[in-house]
Amino acid sequence: MNSYQRVMGTLMGQPVDRPPVLAVLGTYGGKLTGVDLRTLFSEAAAYVAGQRAVQKEFGFDLVMTPFVYTAIAEAFGGETAWSDRQPPNMKRPGVRSAAAVLSVPLPDPQKSPSLSIVLDATRRLADLYKEQVPILAVLPGPAIMPSLVIGMEQWMETVLFDEELSRKLLDYTAAFFVSWANSLLAAGADCLVVTEGTAAAEIAPRTLFAERFLPLLTSTFPRINGPKVLHHTGGRIHHILDLLPGLSGLVGVAVGSKDDLAEARRLTGPDLNLIGNLDNLSFPALSADKIMEMSCRCLRVAASSGHYILANAGADIPLTTPPENLRAMLAAAAACGGG
Amino acid sequence: MNPQKLSDQLLTAMINADRSAAAALVEQVLASGVEPRQVIADILDPAIVRLGQLWEAETMSLAQNFVASKIAEDTLLRCIPDKADNAHGKGAVVIGNIEDDFHSLGRKTVGLFLAAAGWEVHDLGNDVPAEELLAKALEVNACVIGASAMMQTTALNIRKLRQLIDEGAFAGRIKLAVGGAVFNWRPELVAEVGGDGTAHNAIGADELFMRLQAEARGELP
Repeated sequence: MNSYQRVMGTLMGQPVDRPPVLAVLGTYGGKLTGVDLRTLFSEAAAYVAGQRAVQKEFGFDLVMTPFVYTAIAEAFGGETAWSDRQPPNMKRPGVRSAAAVLSVPLPDPQKSPSLSIVLDATRRLADLYKEQVPILAVLPGPAIMPSLVIGMEQWMETVLFDEELSRKLLDYTAAFFVSWANSLLAAGADCLVVTEGTAAAEIAPRTLFAERFLPLLTSTFPRINGPKVLHHTGGRIHHILDLLPGLSGLVGVAVGSKDDLAEARRLTGPDLNLIGNLDNLSFPALSADKIMEMSCRCLRVAASSGHYILANAGADIPLTTPPENLRAMLAAAAACGGG
Repeated sequence: MNPQKLSDQLLTAMINADRSAAAALVEQVLASGVEPRQVIADILDPAIVRLGQLWEAETMSLAQNFVASKIAEDTLLRCIPDKADNAHGKGAVVIGNIEDDFHSLGRKTVGLFLAAAGWEVHDLGNDVPAEELLAKALEVNACVIGASAMMQTTALNIRKLRQLIDEGAFAGRIKLAVGGAVFNWRPELVAEVGGDGTAHNAIGADELFMRLQAEARGELP
């Protein structure tokens, strides 16, 4: 059973040889190939070489398309801050105000230089791994997308104090979200991981999510031609988990490291796949034994009835994480995966 | 004027994210002849303190924090439109996102609440080298530097600021407050980067800075 069969089998509730294990190792690829992060995220070949190195070194059940949201900010005219130690950040948004966005043409994923690199890397990964290792594409959700265009502060100001303008803005940028999602799938991604920051308890309370942001997921997901996983971006998601089953094409939910896996199962019902929930920020400091113990705990709670994938709960696993700590996740799946 | 009742009304507006109701309330109070400083001290400040107490036990989302800070900002602007008029009774503090960190929203919110509480806030913005934060603190005679970071990678850059404070033998007079999402997520990181304290949300910043100021002045055991 290869990784693709293992992950797809799990997602569909079929028997598998062991629970799949995912680890977000985008920047880690650069560490393994000795490439600086700017090159890694600016050259498709360099990025793909990094994913090949990660796959060869560890054999996790995924390869990832570039997790680089500054590509979207740049496509809207923004500026990127590069660092040697972390994925790039948006230094300056491309558009000054919410109202101004409505007159800015939406980027064409095929023509935007920064987005083209991501699509090129996705195609190359598909050439290498199609139907052998699942190709997961990560993209920002439709409700948080405007923050990459106008910045978080402007976005919050608009959402919280100008409901009419925020609805217009969300409707406008939702078209880009859909076209970007479908472009990634067309380039070869098997599944989309939609990181929707507004789904995190640390960003928005339940009522705000339910009234303003969930309808956007409901309206955009049916327009995307592939399976989706909803991700919380690194916070807790327990407060809205019961609202998610039934979203079009939603095959799984990433559960935060401070969420309770058993409670998450109760809230989502038996059929939605749960993914998580190891705290990746703790990975550098812990021993491999401790990570194996944490992983086994997750597997014992969540894997026995299927529909569970062991994974880190947040974004990129820190570069300082020792390789043996990553291997401990895979060892746990082999040792404790039977539930 | 019943300050307690008015403060209750302002608190309700904050909880309900009703910015216009809060603005109308402040306008009405000012129009009735109440001194702007009294509005800040007797109406705004108690509302902020109680809001912090209400949310102490549960997650206060960025959205809720943002609404409360905007209402505080609106109130401050109505009461002290010219910053020069503000007495800044509590003293000077320096805040900034540490080098490589560009997540400004939390820092700005902290700055607003500190200003509302009477601090003279020197906000150096995003991506500020440790040297600049310390130099500014020495220039304005600040007793607390507030260093903000959202990511674990950038939070570790605060260690350099700790090192500079210690090497310059300033630890006795300048305290280091640290904050940002990652510190709530991993409280042990506060000690790891050499922070003297943190607050779970922006509303708690005043209490933290007061404590650190007292420590810097040797007023605490």
